[in-house]
Order: sequence, then C-alpha cells, then structure tokens
Amino acid sequence: MKRTVMVAALAAATALCTPAMAQERGGTLKFARYDGSRLIDPIYADRNPDIWMVGSLFDTLLRTGSDGSSVVAGLAESHSVSEDGLSVSLTLRDGVKFANGSELTSADVVFSLDRARNLDLSPWAGLLGSIKSVAADGNTVTISLNNPDPTLLSMLATFNTGIVSKAAFDAAEGATDQEKSAAIFASASAGVGSGPFYMCDFEQGASMKFCANDNYWRMGSDGKALPYLESVDFEIIPDDATRILKLQAGEVDVAEFVPFSRVAELEADPKINMNLYPSTRIIYSPINTRDTRADGTPNPLADPKVRQAINYATNKEALIGLVLQGAGKPMTSPLMAAATPMSTGETPLYSYDMAKAQELIKEAGVEPGTEITLTTLAGSADDSTIFAALQQMWSPLGLKVNVEQVDGATRGAKNRSGEFDIHTYGWVNDVNDPSQVVGWLGYHPTRKAVGTGWNNDEFNGLFEAAAVELDPAKRAEQFAKMQDIYAEAAPLLFMYETPFAVAVSKSVEGYVQTPLGNNIFDEASVNR
Amino acid sequence: MATLQYILKRLTLMIPTFLLVMVIIFLLVRFLPGDPALAIAGDRASDADLAAIRDRLGLNEPAWVQFWLFLTNTVQGDLGTSILMRTEVLDVVFQRLPTTAFLTVYAVGLSVLIAGPMAFVAALNRGRWPDTVIRTVFQVGLSMPVFYIGLVLLTFLAAQLRWFPVGGYGEGFVSHLYHLFLPAFTVALYTSAIILRNLRSAIIEVLDAEYVQFARAKGLPNRVILGRHVLRNALISTVTLLGLSIGNLMSGTLVTETVFAVPGLGRLMLEAIFARDYPLIQGLTLTFAVLVSLVFLLTDLFQSSLDPRMRLS
Repeated sequence: MKRTVMVAALAAATALCTPAMAQERGGTLKFARYDGSRLIDPIYADRNPDIWMVGSLFDTLLRTGSDGSSVVAGLAESHSVSEDGLSVSLTLRDGVKFANGSELTSADVVFSLDRARNLDLSPWAGLLGSIKSVAADGNTVTISLNNPDPTLLSMLATFNTGIVSKAAFDAAEGATDQEKSAAIFASASAGVGSGPFYMCDFEQGASMKFCANDNYWRMGSDGKALPYLESVDFEIIPDDATRILKLQAGEVDVAEFVPFSRVAELEADPKINMNLYPSTRIIYSPINTRDTRADGTPNPLADPKVRQAINYATNKEALIGLVLQGAGKPMTSPLMAAATPMSTGETPLYSYDMAKAQELIKEAGVEPGTEITLTTLAGSADDSTIFAALQQMWSPLGLKVNVEQVDGATRGAKNRSGEFDIHTYGWVNDVNDPSQVVGWLGYHPTRKAVGTGWNNDEFNGLFEAAAVELDPAKRAEQFAKMQDIYAEAAPLLFMYETPFAVAVSKSVEGYVQTPLGNNIFDEASVNR
Repeated sequence: MATLQYILKRLTLMIPTFLLVMVIIFLLVRFLPGDPALAIAGDRASDADLAAIRDRLGLNEPAWVQFWLFLTNTVQGDLGTSILMRTEVLDVVFQRLPTTAFLTVYAVGLSVLIAGPMAFVAALNRGRWPDTVIRTVFQVGLSMPVFYIGLVLLTFLAAQLRWFPVGGYGEGFVSHLYHLFLPAFTVALYTSAIILRNLRSAIIEVLDAEYVQFARAKGLPNRVILGRHVLRNALISTVTLLGLSIGNLMSGTLVTETVFAVPGLGRLMLEAIFARDYPLIQGLTLTFAVLVSLVFLLTDLFQSSLDPRMRLS
C-alpha cells in the first residue's frame, strides 16, 4: 500500500517537472551581471553593459537573421533599396505598439533616426553618416542617402537605430535631449520602447528589472505573443567568485562572464549548463610601430620583421591553454573574429615557428638583450599569465620583456599618446559588418590604427573605397586585400578569439548571447 | 552646558580637517594617471570628442579655479554631478549611505558581542587553557585577509550549506540583518580579534589594581566587582580602539562590499576610482571623512562619560 502511494507521488512529481512539450510561460529569470547599465538609450548607450541590453527594450526596423549575417524583417515588414543605391524605403508593420499601448507610427521612426544620426547627440552618429534625410508618408519611411552605403541595412538592425517614442520624449522633463533621456530612464517608463520588455525598476549601480511588454508583436512557438518570461531581474555582482557562488546556491539563474579557469568545474555541475557562446571578441596587443618611442629613443618594433618575429615566436595554442584553459582559438583573420562577415583566413595566423622568428630577428639586426615593455592591466590574472608566457617565449629571440602594470584608464591614455611598446587589448564588434573593427584596427584617420601609428596608403584607400561599394563581391574582395596587407605588416600581436562564457541553470531555456554580445531574452523561459 | 560647548568646539575644529582632506583628495585624483574624459567616452572616442567632454566638465580650467569651484560648491551643499552615474553626487551618497552604515554598525555590534565575553573568559582564566585557545583562534582571524575569510564563509555557509544568502542586501530590517550577516561577521572576526587583545590585557591590568583588591577585601559580590569596577575601567582604552577601528572598517568596506555584492559606499568608491569619476571620488572621500570625524567625536564623548576624570577640553 505504502509503495503504491510512493509510486503515485513520484508519477505526479514527474508530471509536474516535465510538461508535455508545452511552452513554459511566466516566471522571473534572475541574472547576475558583472557590471550595471547606466543609461539604456539606443543613441547614448556607449558601454557594453548598456549596448547589450538595448535590444530588449527597443526594436529596430530590421533584425539580424539567425545565420548572423543576413537582415530580416523587424518593425518594417518589408524594405527595398533603389537601383542607384541612394534611397531605401521601408513599410512598417501594422498595429505595432509601444509597451504602454500607444501606437508606433512612422513619425516615431523619423524622430528616432534623426536623433540617431545627430552628430551633436550620439557617439554612434558617424555610422549613419551616409543618410541625407528621412521622410515618412503613411506607414512608409524613405531614407535618402548622400552616397551608396553598403552597411546601411545592417545599421538598421543595430542597437543605435532602435525606435523610441516621440511622444515620450516630447512629454519628458528636461531642456535637452540628454536630460529628457535621463529623465525617461530614471522614471522606468513603459512608454519609450517597443521591445519585448520594458524597464520597470532601476536602482543605479545595484539592480534593474525588465517586465514583459504585453503588446509585443513577435509570436512564440505556442502561437501567443513573446516574450515567455514575465520579468528579468538583474543584480550586479562585480566579483567573479561571488557571481558563480550565487548561481551554485540557486539564488540566480544566469551568471555571465565566467572566468575561463572556472569553466571546466562548472561544466561538471549537473545543475548548470556552461555555455560558450561564439563571439566576435578578439584579444590582441597593439604594437607601437613609430620610428621612435615617445621618449625619443629608437623603437626596435618599428621594423615589420621584428613584429613578424614576435608573432611567430608566440605560441598561441599554449597561450590559449594557459589563459583560457583551451576555451578559445587562435585568430585566423588579422582584423576580425572569424564570426564577422567577410573575414578571411582558415588557418591560424603566424603559427608558432621559432626558427623563422629567429631568422627574422637576425635579418632585422636586433641586438640581443634589447628591452621591450609589455603594458598590462593591474589585477588581471589573464594579463599576468600572458606576460609570464611571452617573457619566456620571446627570450630565444634575445628580447628582454619587462612588464608595466596599469589600470584601464591609464592604458587607454597610453594607447592614445603612444607611450607604450606593446599592450594587451580586446575588442567586440558592435555592428554586424566588418567596417567598424577594420576602421578601428587599421584605418589611420580613425584612431591611428588602434594607437599603433601604422599608416598604409593602400590600406586606407581600400577602406575608403569599401565604404561606398554596393557590390557585395567586390566589397568582400577589398576587405580580403586589407586583411592580407594587415597580416603582413603585423601592427598587432595577433592572439586569440574567446567565446562568451555564461553559466546558465538547467531550468532556463532559450537565453542567448549573440556574437556581438547582446543579451537576448525574447525566447527565454524558466521551468522551476 | 560644558559638553555642548565642547561639541561645538570639536565641530569647529573639524573644518580645517575637512579643508585639508579636500585639498589632498583634489590633488590625489588629479595625480592619478588616466583621463576622466577617456573613462567617459571610452577608448574609441576621437580626440575632438575628448576635448569637448573635458570642456564640458570644466577640466580645462586652471587647477585653482577647479578647486575654488569644488570648495564653494561643497560649502553650499553641492558636491557636483557624478560622471559615472549621471546624477547628483549627494543623492547617490545618501542612497548608498544607509547600507554602509548598517553594515558598519552591524559589524561593530557583532565584534563587541564576540570580543566582550571572550575577553572576560580569557582574562579570568589567564594562562590556563581557555585563555590559550581563545587567543590562538583570534590570532588566526587577525592574520587572514578579510577577502579570503569572506570567500571561505561564502563557499561553505552560503553556497553549500545554504544557511545564508550569497551577497545582496535584501529588503526590510530583518532581511538586511540576514543578508548582511556574513559580511558583518567576516569583518567582525578581524575587529573582534583586535578588541579582544586589548580588552583582555586591560581587564587583567584592572584586576590587579589596588581598588579591585580593595573591593574584593570589602567582600563585594563578584558580579558587582566585574561590572562596576573592572569592565568600566577596562573599557576606556578599548573604546578608543573601537573608534579607531570603525575608521578602518569604513575603508574595509571597499573589499567587503565588493566580495559580498553589497551596494554600499565602499563598492561605489571602487567603481568611482576606476572610472576616474572625480566628483564622486571627492564626494565619497569627504563623506568618509565626515563620518570618521563624527565617530571619533562620539568616542571621546563616550569615554568622558566612562571616566569623569577626563575633562572635555
């Protein structure tokens, strides 16, 4: 008798745990973040913790397809580009509403795009520099361009062109757009965006809450509107160890930015999915290529042969093993992660080859005992490991590597002033197009080729030509050529790509972080 | 009346202290390498963007102009706008202050609760095993870094045994007590070790004093001797030490609040330093200076109430 009861209880419990394929709805996802958002506004978001949340609150006209490179319909159900490439027209979806229930109209689109391309307001306005004007007629929006722009459609699927409510801005307190934006954000208003969520609570530097937008237009697998979740609770826990402990104790469902040294341990945890999402993050080290150092002494790294030599002498696989416990791969393109559209190169760049490295250093005539300073981030365990490894790897070249530890702000200042030999650095794409990262790393007018001072006319010319090339094949060719030139010149120590390591409780499904880093909760659900 | 005069005098004397703190912190943050404009705009910003931001923040003004503005605004109760938080520094400080104050008072309370009885047990058993055990255990607490003890406690008591939450602050008084127990206890382990050493030797000293022997000879009950004569006299130096360690505790919140994910002033200070948020660093330092000065004043007042021989002057 007793046994029957037990079996019945077990059966009931099992039935509760595994619903028959029905989509789980409702509930709160608890998310532990490494850093908090300051201002989630499409045009002002300038730090990753802000940028990566914009998509949850603000929809864009177009969306990036599931393949990661194509664009598909978003708030605009269709779009067409004129033959001369000088105008794009988009037809808005019917009946889309902001989270407070008010209708999203073409006037909101014009307002949002005008705001996004205003150089006085947005740090991202330069990405929309080709736009001459935006006009609306009924539910059609027409964008006129000064010149053909191959990146425009991608840009309309990027966070900075998220659509905001004109009415919300008109009604907000404040004299300037910045003040209005801050006021809207501080009041956690539902009326400003049409994304799957709206921000319903916010405490600067401590916590944040997203609530489901009941008026969201996209449909879930059960035929009802997304999102599945009722809300997402964010808690800021800067300390890595504490963040992971919170997850292990079941107090949160997701812990982001898991240090790679902890990945194996969490993979073994039966209650946790240790996800390594493919990313566009690259870890590299800019090399000062100027003839003389900032202090006036001759710079041995000005010679491309020396830069090639240290690239050959660096065993990337070993570095990946040491720093990432194997959870990464060597860079195959010199200018971007392999997940970026138009990246070339199938095999690791500068595969470890000590003989070649020694030959190059001999050709360059570098004196044994020449000193090079590696600038690293103080307190970064990864950087300390990198320094120790490079010091050993480069000693057969007769190079003596010293370390200089600084904090992030100081490293940024040094990069800008050129007061460094080599320093560690990283990058994640914000835009689903190679132009941004290539401009950053190689195009001298942007920022002196990531502070290296490298300046190559052919490269700069190709970059400018690609910016107005509408033919995808020709544009890919131009980017391929730029990657060849850059690999040969080696203004960087090419290191590795790393995934986004996010530990997620097994009770969570459907959460993803995109290669650009965006946190996507649209189709996430919890099953407790 | 004399007390009130004394308090007024002490408060007046704090003004030069604060002035000095302001000068030092103003100079210190400006000696830090790294540009706040760069911290705001990010590495990708153009040089023109940076120049515009510096201009907006008034960083292009001569240093003495900036200091004068800092001084006059502070006197008027305006600590400026945080670069990082984009809100008034004073608002942010008041928002976070209760958390840190709660944690500090909690930690001090726990330290006293732990160290007080233990010091008595150790002193009364001087040289015997309870004394040795207590002193050894607390010596260990004293010699381990706070962040390490914190992580160990988190791992065992919170993550594995689930007795306490892993960090956070909670809502409501009881929930605060529960959430902040581990951080407060971690800090208290260290502070109580210091207090214990001092209190134990103070008690021993007083126990040997002639007035205590006289009280014993008079046949006073042990409870009265310990409570009225020993504790009160032994506390005098310990209260000074406690006051000083509260100053230490406040700087300790930088570590504790980060490890235990407590959104207080200490964690904010750390974020402000990394972001080169000059107004916020200045505002927080000044806040800490005011708090510590007030604690010292309270300590002195309490001490004079314990020992009437100490004149308030």
